[in-house]
Amino acid sequence: MSTIIFEEVTKNYGRVQGISNVSLNIGPGVTGILGPNGAGKSTTMKVLLGLARPSIGSVYVNGVNPFDNFDLRNKIGFVPEYDCFYEHMSAVDYVSYFLMIHDFSKEEAVERAENSLIELGLQDSMYRKIRTYSRGMRQKTKVARATAFNPQILVLDEPFQGADPTTRHLLMEKINSWSEEGRTILISSHILHDVEYLTDNIILINNGRVLASGNRHEIRKLMSNIPIQIKISPIDKNQLRPLVKRMLDEKWITAGRLLENEGEIILETNESEKFYTEFPQILEDEKIIVEKIVSDDDTLDSLYSKLVEGKQWK
Amino acid sequence: MEISKMFKRFPTLFPPIFKDCSYRLITNKLTWVLVAILMLPCALGLLVYYEFSGDRISEEVDGEKIYYTSSGELLHEDLRVLFLEISEYFGIGFIALLLGIMFSSELISEEYNLKTMQILRTSPIHPVEIFTYRYISGIITGVILLGLYSTLFYIIVMMGAGIYGILEEIGLLALVIKIVILNWIGFLSIFCAINVYFERPYLICFIYWLFWEQIMSGQNYQQITLTHYINSIIYDSLIEMGWSVTASDYGLVNSNNDTIATDPLISTFIILIVGISFIFIGSRGISSKQF
Repeated sequence: MSTIIFEEVTKNYGRVQGISNVSLNIGPGVTGILGPNGAGKSTTMKVLLGLARPSIGSVYVNGVNPFDNFDLRNKIGFVPEYDCFYEHMSAVDYVSYFLMIHDFSKEEAVERAENSLIELGLQDSMYRKIRTYSRGMRQKTKVARATAFNPQILVLDEPFQGADPTTRHLLMEKINSWSEEGRTILISSHILHDVEYLTDNIILINNGRVLASGNRHEIRKLMSNIPIQIKISPIDKNQLRPLVKRMLDEKWITAGRLLENEGEIILETNESEKFYTEFPQILEDEKIIVEKIVSDDDTLDSLYSKLVEGKQWK
Repeated sequence: MEISKMFKRFPTLFPPIFKDCSYRLITNKLTWVLVAILMLPCALGLLVYYEFSGDRISEEVDGEKIYYTSSGELLHEDLRVLFLEISEYFGIGFIALLLGIMFSSELISEEYNLKTMQILRTSPIHPVEIFTYRYISGIITGVILLGLYSTLFYIIVMMGAGIYGILEEIGLLALVIKIVILNWIGFLSIFCAINVYFERPYLICFIYWLFWEQIMSGQNYQQITLTHYINSIIYDSLIEMGWSVTASDYGLVNSNNDTIATDPLISTFIILIVGISFIFIGSRGISSKQF
């Protein structure tokens, strides 16, 4: 069941269009929202959080309109891209203050805040003023504030920004464990590799429009007009020519390129499944042993390039 | 959210916000610039005291030293006028107004700049709570600051008249502090609401004060200004204290020269109503503001 539903949502800021005709269904688990700067990711998040009202269309979070519904705010945790601190408070004071807003008693709020910050590795600095914090520590404090009250829905805008590799790894582990608990997590990040690690469910957005949404492998399959490129490296480099010649005999191979200096061939096909089913048999018949088969097309980076940067049209 | 729940949450949620707001207000450089300006009359008062204290004539009555001017008038009666006149420009006048505008900007606009307002808007805290906590924090900080200033200034001005003079006119200090409180209750809520709705609050607040409060307060329809009610309270209190002032001294007359001063109790009530009304107007702005 979808937790977040966008029905043909358009949001304009005066004459500037934030998002246009966006329809989405987001269910439990991690969903990555990807797009270049100014694509409409933040506007989508603002509309979902009730910070902006759609100009046209409807948004439902847990079946209610997030702009008007006050109780919904007890169920959504938000980690913004930007800093949003009372700088002279300590992390414990800051997180516990927001917990008290969620109706926790002062003692319970402090205890939860401490636990949450300790879990995120801030035990040594959680009583220090936030103004003395590094970017990574600030990021962790934001995450602690957004998650300490166990929200059902988490909206994370660039959560890995400024985080060192250890913090990044820690946050990813946390996000995975929250996802396993059945929470709905919407994550926006410029670091495609991080999103790829966390989820296959993505929303690709550009110029305020959703280009694609769903499982990234399924999306790639739907792009049948764009051939998939596969790089193959035989152990015996003398077999490069026979292999490319043999493969071009197959109807489902649309093109082949020989890269003798690199010791590999590149094949293009519109039927990747057929390739992966039949290719092993061909190798066996031709008695060719390969050391590497790589398809960069299967990565999120490649999908992003094709859809958002329009590389399929070039 | 019910009002009762807001009251219940107040003891838990208000103290951290008060701490934050008062810290920000006190550490703001502009606050100290205005405090330095407020201190100018104090410095001048000290200078005058040391320059002219030898010119006073004193008389001891029942063990109390009473000071007179060289023309034989009671010195404290001269000094009290000086205290009130200068206060009307500083502690309860233009400088206090600038302080109020600056405070409102720090309390509301700065939260939009720091983006903490966006986070609050995604949290289960009612806009009335957001606005009220900041408004009350501003009143407490402003009243403490101006209350202390007025007391200090009063002592410096009145010390020329000795302990007798200071105690004799203590009612005037109480009146000034009362006006400081009512000024802040009325004006700060208006300034804070302006900060919610407008992007250039300093300018709008100043325009409001200049055109609405200053120009309108001398007209026939001055009852629509807060200044009218503040002046009514000052006028009535001074009459009660035995001062010889007229309604026209405070602009409380219409074009036919009829006195149009409002009863002080009603005036206080109206100032409170304005304060409360603008809490709701400001809160509505917070809840409907889009980011």
